[in-house]
Amino acid sequence: MNRRIISTRHTPGLFLVCLLLLWCSAAALAQSAGQSAKSTTPVSIRGTHLLGFESAKNNANGTLSIQEDALQFQKDGKPTEQVKIASVQDIFLGEQSKQVGGTAMTLGKAAVPFGGGRAVSLFAHKNYDTLALEYVDSNGGMHGAIFQLDKGQAEILRNELVAKGAHVSESANEPVKQSNAEVSSESK
Amino acid sequence: MKASNRVSLLLVAVAVVTINVAHPPQLSAENAASSSGTNSTAAQWSVQVDKVDPGDVALAPSFQIAIYESLLDELNKTKRFKQVLRDGDRNAGDVSDLLILKTTVQKYTAGSETRRAVTTVSGATKLTVRSQLRARDGHIIVERTVNGNVRFMGSNLRATHNLAHNVAKAIKQSSLPEPSHSASHAAIDSDQVVVVELR
Repeated sequence: MNRRIISTRHTPGLFLVCLLLLWCSAAALAQSAGQSAKSTTPVSIRGTHLLGFESAKNNANGTLSIQEDALQFQKDGKPTEQVKIASVQDIFLGEQSKQVGGTAMTLGKAAVPFGGGRAVSLFAHKNYDTLALEYVDSNGGMHGAIFQLDKGQAEILRNELVAKGAHVSESANEPVKQSNAEVSSESK
Repeated sequence: MKASNRVSLLLVAVAVVTINVAHPPQLSAENAASSSGTNSTAAQWSVQVDKVDPGDVALAPSFQIAIYESLLDELNKTKRFKQVLRDGDRNAGDVSDLLILKTTVQKYTAGSETRRAVTTVSGATKLTVRSQLRARDGHIIVERTVNGNVRFMGSNLRATHNLAHNVAKAIKQSSLPEPSHSASHAAIDSDQVVVVELR
């Protein structure tokens, strides 16, 4: 009788310890799997080239990817534009809210009677990340390029670039929100 | 009487034709000379575009980059300069007649594309910069205060394109001194600089 009482008192403790060990090992496994996946999978993100790359058109959709030591942007079926990661001097993250649908949507909204298009505009916007790069060419000339990416993607790309050797200044670490507040600032 | 009238009319017509034939080549030559003169004067200058100085204004880095890149584009389009060089370009040291374009942000209103779409009258993105073309020794040759806005349609970054277009237009319209003059000849005291505001 006494033995049974003792065994029932110890079982929940053992069970908890086992659970804890299992959870720890599962977490460790998941982390190592994530790390290995991170290190082997090349980053490839869909985005829009807003400006900067000379051979790519402004506002062109394409794929931003990191291949070995270069960041490259490829528009479907077009030649690739690439920048050596070592030449990247700074990376800035930002956020912006944009109206979706382009010109067609704008015209459509204008055609809606009684100002209904304005109401549509209230909901027809989307938040994007912006990734701005500063890099130098072989002559030392400074270049800039800006990309628009889906929310959350810019930080992934920035981290990957930094891991591959891109320089980032301290001031560039905080994302800058651009468009939601109408703030005026003036230099004195 | 009729015959003399005809003769006089004929003489007048001949005179008109002669004048027209004789003068246009001279005029076109003058035009060509004057236009080539202005082009050659301007074409001898090269310009190096410096990075945009945000001053005390909290301007997003992407805006600074967009202004810088748009300025390079727009200045190239004007064909006013022999070369348009980037900030830090080592080739600038070999260029004899070089002007340096410095851009300082004076005022910035961060607008909202959604607010523009909804209200039409509010949400404008506004940028005001002071652009200075300087000689190598730092003397100011041209100074302009220029605005770039997006009031109705377009993204906020569109303001940077409009701004760069206005800066290039202001530089194109301004008269630059002969590049053969030394920098001190070309320079104008800052008191004498006329600030023109383009809206």
